[in-house]
This record gives sequence, C-alpha cells and structure tokens, in this order.
Amino acid sequence: MKIIIVGDGKVGYTLAEHLSQEDHDVTIIDTNDDALRRASESLDVLCIKGNGTSIFALKESGADKADVIIAATSMDEVNMVCCLTAKRLGARYAIARIRNSDYTEELALLKKELDIDLVINPENATAVEISRLLRFPPAANIDTFYRGRVELVGFRVQENDFLCGRPLSQLDRRVKALPILFCAAERGESCIIPNGAFVPMAGDKLYLIGQPRGMSAFFKLLGRYTPKIRSAFVVGCGRIAHYLVPLLAHMGIQVKLVDKNIERCRQFDEQFSKATVLHGDGTDQELLEAEDVTASDAFLALTDRDEDNLIISLYAMQQGISKVIAKCNRQNYTSIARTVGLDSVISPKLITANQILQVIRGIQNSKGSVMNALYKIANGQAEAMEFVVNTTTRHLGVPLRELKLKKGILLAVIIHQRNIIIPEGSSSIHAGDTVIVVSRDHGILDVNDIYEESLLDKGALS
Amino acid sequence: MNYRLVLKLTGKTLLVAAMALLLPLLVALIYREDIRPFLFTLPPMLIIGGGLSQLSSSDHFFPREGFFAVGLIWLLISAFGALPFYFYGQLNPGAEFQSYIDCFFESASGFTTTGASILTAVEPIPNGLLFWRSFTHWLGGMGVLVLAIALLPSLGGRTLHVMKAESPGPVVSKLVPKASQSSKILYGIYCVLTLIEALCLRIAGMPWYDSMVNAFATAGTGGFSTRNLSIASYQSPAVEIIITIFMLLFSVNFTCYFLILRGKVKQAFRSDELRFFLLLVAGSILLITWNLRDLYSSAGEAMRYAAFQVGSVVSTTGFSTADFDLWPELSRMILFLLMFCGACAGSTGGGMKCSRILLVLKCVRREIRQIVHPRSVNVVKLDGRVVEEDTLRSVLLFFSTYMLIIMIASLILSLDNFSFTTTLTAVVACVSNIGPGLEQVGPMGNFSAFSGLSKLVLSLCMIIGRLEVLPILVLFSRNAWKRS
Repeated sequence: MKIIIVGDGKVGYTLAEHLSQEDHDVTIIDTNDDALRRASESLDVLCIKGNGTSIFALKESGADKADVIIAATSMDEVNMVCCLTAKRLGARYAIARIRNSDYTEELALLKKELDIDLVINPENATAVEISRLLRFPPAANIDTFYRGRVELVGFRVQENDFLCGRPLSQLDRRVKALPILFCAAERGESCIIPNGAFVPMAGDKLYLIGQPRGMSAFFKLLGRYTPKIRSAFVVGCGRIAHYLVPLLAHMGIQVKLVDKNIERCRQFDEQFSKATVLHGDGTDQELLEAEDVTASDAFLALTDRDEDNLIISLYAMQQGISKVIAKCNRQNYTSIARTVGLDSVISPKLITANQILQVIRGIQNSKGSVMNALYKIANGQAEAMEFVVNTTTRHLGVPLRELKLKKGILLAVIIHQRNIIIPEGSSSIHAGDTVIVVSRDHGILDVNDIYEESLLDKGALS
Repeated sequence: MNYRLVLKLTGKTLLVAAMALLLPLLVALIYREDIRPFLFTLPPMLIIGGGLSQLSSSDHFFPREGFFAVGLIWLLISAFGALPFYFYGQLNPGAEFQSYIDCFFESASGFTTTGASILTAVEPIPNGLLFWRSFTHWLGGMGVLVLAIALLPSLGGRTLHVMKAESPGPVVSKLVPKASQSSKILYGIYCVLTLIEALCLRIAGMPWYDSMVNAFATAGTGGFSTRNLSIASYQSPAVEIIITIFMLLFSVNFTCYFLILRGKVKQAFRSDELRFFLLLVAGSILLITWNLRDLYSSAGEAMRYAAFQVGSVVSTTGFSTADFDLWPELSRMILFLLMFCGACAGSTGGGMKCSRILLVLKCVRREIRQIVHPRSVNVVKLDGRVVEEDTLRSVLLFFSTYMLIIMIASLILSLDNFSFTTTLTAVVACVSNIGPGLEQVGPMGNFSAFSGLSKLVLSLCMIIGRLEVLPILVLFSRNAWKRS
C-alpha cells in the first residue's frame, strides 16, 4: 500500500519503521533536513522535504494516489489541514494526530467536516493503558480483547515461583483447570511460543491469555496477588497526566501530582479539585521523601525526559513501592530498564504505532476476516491479534488436530457464541466466531494466513 | 565494520555476475566457438559467491559498510570478469590476452564503461568473448550492485548506502519509496532504451550480433566495438546518427525518463543540469563544426562528425567515426575539456558530471559576491532548491580529489616516457571512463604499449573514476579496517 507520513518526529519515524518493514511504500514529508536524513539513511522510505499542508509537497509525494495519509506533526491544526488537503487530492484514508484536549469535545464534528477517518491521540491512549495496568497490579503489561472480556497479561517469573524449572505440562492440577493459556515467553532477546515441554526459568517473561477471573485466580495461586491500588503518586503534569487523572479518579484512586512548572500546577489544581498538586522537582529525592512517597500504592513517572523517568522509577522501586510505571519513548532504554527489573515501561509512540498498524492491516484485508485488535508483545517480536471469522475463512468446522498451522503460530482463544474457549484438539472454528491468534511471524492479515499450506492448495481452495 | 555482511553482499553480487556470464556462453554456443574460457570461469565464481552468500550476519548496515562493500565488489568483479579473457589467452598461445594484467585492464575497462583497450586487433577475437566484453559495459553502466538489489530484495532496507556509493552524482535519491523497486524501474528504463537502440541499428542495416553489441556499448556509455575502426567501419551515416542520439540519451539523468513516464514532462525539463548539459553539447558541436569547416566537403558532413565526437566524449562512450587526433587544435582542446566534464548525474556516463561542474561554477560566483558584499547571505540553488552546505563541500572536495588523482597517476605513467599529451590524456580518459585519449592512445591507437605498472594504475583509475573516488579510498584507508 502507498502510505504518506507527514511529520518525521518520534511517532512518524516509528510508524515509518514498522510500515516499511511490513512492505508498504512509505513516503515521509517533513521540513527538517536532519530528521529526513536520519530516516532516509536507516529506513527504506522516500523522504520529501516540504510543508505537509502545501499542495505542491503533497502532490510530489503522490498524495493523489495514496491509500493512507497519516498526519503526525507536532501541531494539531497542521495535521487537520494536511488530512483535508490530501483527501481533496484523492487520498483514500486519512489519519490525524489530534492531542489537544480542547478539541476533544468537538472531535466528532471535526472528523465529519474535515473528512478525517481516524483520530489518534497518543497521550490519551497511554493514559488508558496506564489505568488498565493499575487495575491489575501483578501484571507488567495488559492488553485486552473482545471488549475487555479476554486479557493478555505479561509477568516476570521470579525465583521462588512454583513455575520455575517444571515443564508446563506437569503443572499443578489447580492451575491447569483455570481458563488461561501460556501463549508466549520472552527469554533474553528471543521470543518463544511455548508448548507443554517448555520449562519456565526465573527471569523469563511469560504471557498469559484468558478470562480476567482466571487471571486473578492464577496470580492468587502464584502468591502475587496484591490488594487494589488506592493511591498513586504521579511525577510530571503533562498531557498524559491530564487524561489520566480523571480516569484514576473514576477508579477511586487518590492522586498526588508533582510538577516543576508552577503554571501547569495551577492549571491542574483548577481543573482537578480532588487531586493534590505539588509544585517542585519530582526528581528531587528530598521532596519525594517529604511527601512520603512510600505511602502510595503506585508510582508513575511521566515527565518529558526518559532518563529522569527511569532513574526516579528505580528510586521508587528501591523504596519498596510495588507498582512502578515509567514512560519511556526510547526502545533501547526499555530493554535496559527490564534488566534491572523495571517491567512496566510504556511508550506512547509504540502504543500509537500499534493502533495505526492495526487499522492499516484492516484496510489491507478489507475482504477477508476482520481484524479487531493487534498488539505487539515480547519486545515487538510477537503479535497478538483478534479476528472475526467469516465465510471466507477456510477449514471451518474442521477439528484443530487435523489442521496444520504454520510454525510459531498459536490459536490461543476461540470465542464461540459468547463462550470463551481455550482450544483443544477437538475444537473447531465456525463462521461468526472471534479468534485470538499469537504469532511470531509478522504480517498475518487474515485467519487464512495461519494455516501451513503450499501455494498449490491455496489456489485450489480459493 | 560488519565484515560478514559485506562479504555476504559480495557473494550475492558474484552470483548475479555468474548468471550474467551465461549470456556470452550462449552466444559462443550459437557461433560454435570454444566455450572453455567461460566454463573455466564459472566454478570459481559459483563456489566463492555461493560460499560467501551463505554467511549469516547481523543487519547492521551503515554508510561505512556501503562504501566498503562497493569498493571491494568492484575490484573483485573486475578480477573475476578478466578470467574469460585470461583463459582464452592461455588456451590460444600467440593470441592476445597473454598476461593477466592485460585481462584485468580490459575487464576493468569494460565494467567501468571506459572502453579503453589493450587489443591491437579486435576482429580475430571470437564473438562470444567480444560479446562478454561489451556486456560488461552494460552491467557496469547502471551498476552491478544496483542489479543485485533489484534481483535480491532480501538485502534489506538499508541498501540506499550501497546505491549512494555506486550511483554517480552528488545527490542520490530514490524514485519510489522502496530501494529494490527503484532499482527495478531504473533497470527497466535501461533495458527498454537498449532494446530500442538495438532495433534501430538493425533497421539501419547492422547485423543482429553487431547491433546488440554496439547497443550494449552505447547504453553503458562504454565504447568497446567489434571492429578495429570502431563505428567508422560501418560506413553508414544512419548508424552514426542513431548512435549519436542514443549516446546523448544515455548521458541524461534517468530520473528525467521516470518523470516523463509519470507524465510530468514539464518537471523533467525544469532541471538545471539538463539545460546546462544541452547547452554544453550544442555549443561544442557548433564550435567544432566551425573549426572543421575546411576539413570536410560540406558543413553537414562536418556537423555530423562533430556531433558524433562531441556526443561520444561528453557521454564518455569513446566511439569514433573519425580520427579526431588529426583535427585542429581548438577541436582537440574542446574535446579534452569535455572529457573532464562528462555526462549528467544519475546517468550511465562517467566524468565529473555536469551538476558538479555547475555547482562549482555557482560556488565561485558566490565567493566573488561574498568578497564584494562581505555581509551578504548567499545560498546556492539547483533546480530552484537550496543545495545543502554539506553537499557543496563534498562537491568541492570531489573536484580537488579528482584533480589530485589525475596528477598522481600522470606522474606514475610518465615513467613510461611517452609524450606529455599521451600520458595526460590516457589518465584523463581512464579516470573519466571515456576510453580513447589523444596521440598514441587516440581513437586509432590503444593502450598495449604501456608497462604493467601503468596498466594497473590505469585500471585502478578507471574504477576510482566510475565509483567517484570515495569508495576505493575508503577501501584503502586504515581507519575503515580497524575494529571498532
């Protein structure tokens, strides 16, 4: 597909990276020479210097024939005009990043009038993700499927866990009976799709999929169950905090915020009367001690600087706060943070990139089974996807044990007539079902892509 | 430095080159000639290429690796491309190509599209070998690695570094987002133009074999012909005019053709470089025609010879229809100066490239203005766009290095004690990938009289000129070899 990305910032670059890897024709428009040079040197994309709102630059980049235009500059208004112009020129699908909360109210109107197909708001998406993590503290990360009724939870195996050193097939009966499935494992740099013979080791990160009640039961058995989070300490009153505070208030969590900027503190205090807003340097340990950080159940580091976030998170962990979440946009920092035990690292640009990838795969496969959700897990090495099966899917009604799936692919969950099933050899897929697939292979667009078949069979069947 | 990846790339390119060797083999079979020179060459290429391409490597790929790989591959490919000539020489004692240095010179001259030959007589060489000689022009014209990128998309996303190092011109950009797609489009345009030329030549009365070989030589702007007298031996004005036109067509930036194909004709002709190039060609033709007015019977004839020779030199092909060494001094000087200038960037031609000359001139103008108005702010523009200071710096640097290399090579060549003109024009003709120079290396002469050392230096000059200096210098720099 022909995709134009306007704005070569953090989100634009990450998107270009992922999309060009998925074999799309990506063109980037930006006014900054240095940013363009970096992209053209390390990615297989076409870079054009110019203003994304100008018809000239858009025409030069082929907006008239583009399948998707993504406007991700730092300015909402530019993004809107950019989408409008590109759509008028003939682009088929327009995605704009609009993150100013002032526009939240009239978003529906804007979308309709400006002909924008999708609005993305990285900060809002990040806030939603954080609130989800706080709802279920034992998990390092949580993704939800099927309107929240199925969860994909990642957690780190610790040395004294009963999982350690025992193949999955020989786990306790009480664990086996739970409606959950081990669907992926991250060991060092590699990612494994486990089978019964897989032996978890301390330090592995395991991914579980299943119903929320199964999850809570499992973590209770693991002895990892922590009580509900009642208070959170947030460093940095940025956009994420702005979207997050109301969400946390709704969950009944007491919020304490710290920021260096007095103006921002005033604004927050004015808007969120229930929260406590402190003015000061959140990276200053004395201030944190004075405000008794250790009394909080959760600690969130959301300043603009990745380095500050990671360091103060480590400090908070050392102080014994059980749930610590740090915002970090740099990929290489994330893996460093993991090695020292900081598991809940969230990256707004990755969350946004995942959102858009999902939409683009959906557009690409508009005729086949519909993709409802896509998450990248295990450091981006595996993907979990939710599909709705329709009549174009092959092998409907055939028991799984008679089917051959591609290597590195797991059919994790089948939802048949609202029943959530962890599949066995006798289970089968029917039209109208929802299925969740975990794959180490990238570029699964359709349920049909999971079957191991020669090209000959494909031709004969389709 | 990621040596494994560089070697893997080298292996894959060798395999592509081995595939290309099948074509002359087929020609040799058709003409019932000895195919052993090709059969002996294939196994080493396949074994070494196949072995290297199996290496596993990480895909860390930076400009350093790109330049390094390109330099290495061009040296290796010239060395392997020389083998068919060498085996031919070994199988036929008394024929040409007795020493390996001669063969390497011929092969380097082929791949770099220079067209300088050590052969005293071309006609006795079998058809298959001559086909290979000209086919190397065709392969080298657009770039062996660009072909490898087009055929092997598995090379990954960072292939732009390779394209940058191999493609001529100060700024290299892609036509479409994907590097492999870009290479395919370029090769597509290249193939189609070559085919059209071969057809035109066939219609003009050339036999099929000759029209193919001459089309390859024109397309790569090489200049190896199948006859001793080059194009003059066909005695056909139609052939001369066709080849003149195509030589000029192949020295235009291929992006122009892409834009025309896309229906953006106006944008294609808006290029400053193209205008400069056309002006240069037209001016040179007119001046030489005027200078030759007494030498030929009619103005039309003088114009025909002048146009062919200007086209041949400016496109850096090196065909000849007349012995321009016998022309008056003004004509010879114009041709000599055109040798420096060369074709447009992004074409198959060599030389310093029109866009660089244009930028150097603009820099000079800017410098003068700066002296007159010390506080003025001046940016240099090309095609209506501001040229980055980095690019300007690299252009000026390129200009000086180019001159430096010509000086050093001339110094080494002077050991052979030929005349000043012969020595200097031999070096310029090789660095600019033209082929014939003046006097002893003129259109009717050849390079066989030089010593082994001189031939080696000239071969290296050709590769340095084709890759535009830097890749080869990187290959020989100690810093690049250090572990870091």
